[in-house]
Amino acid sequence: MAEKEMEVLNDRDMNLDEEVIGDRPRRYQRRRSRLVIPDYVDWKDIDLLRQFVPERGKIMPRRISGITAKDQRRISKAIKRARSMAMLPFVAD
Amino acid sequence: MANRTYEVMYIIDPDTTADKIEKLNEAVVKLIEKEGGTLINTNEIGMKTMAYPIQKKFEGYYVLLEIEGTGQEIMELERRMRVNDMIMRYITVRVDEDRKTAAKRTEKREARTAKRASFRNAPPVAEAAEASAEA
Repeated sequence: MAEKEMEVLNDRDMNLDEEVIGDRPRRYQRRRSRLVIPDYVDWKDIDLLRQFVPERGKIMPRRISGITAKDQRRISKAIKRARSMAMLPFVAD
Repeated sequence: MANRTYEVMYIIDPDTTADKIEKLNEAVVKLIEKEGGTLINTNEIGMKTMAYPIQKKFEGYYVLLEIEGTGQEIMELERRMRVNDMIMRYITVRVDEDRKTAAKRTEKREARTAKRASFRNAPPVAEAAEASAEA
């Protein structure tokens, strides 16, 4: 019985949208990015895309960049196009 | 068929001579016109260092074209680029639809800001008019 209770608590801790203070889980507002993504994401605009590619060359996850899902899709597609034309690295070490 | 806009970019081997590059580009333009497409823009970006080596080369000569057409010329162009040894990489992106949605977004945002501005500016004007009427 005690074990089961522990499990439930752990599950709650894993949920990133909820912050556990005392007994009740409290919702907190997800931080939004201040970055302004242009209406047309140009895959040739390397300076824009660089903001979403950390040093290692991976695409920054939405959880970190804080942009909308729609924008993330557009950005990631543009990054992939730029990568295939050797304008951005697949991996950088 | 409705006309479509494409962006075609290709990377030429850095070891090719300048006149060969010129000849290749001319041939591309000729091919597009022969297949019924129209060239909107040409941008020879030139020699650039690549993010990773392609065919053991670290540089490449980049050329960007903007083409309007039915897709027929793209098919032929891609087939030839695949065969050509001088072209190390190419990419074709259809841009008309994305640009259209982007334009729609811009329009919507501008309309919204205009509306907001009108609300922000209107009340003081009305108050001023009232004040003058009272006086």
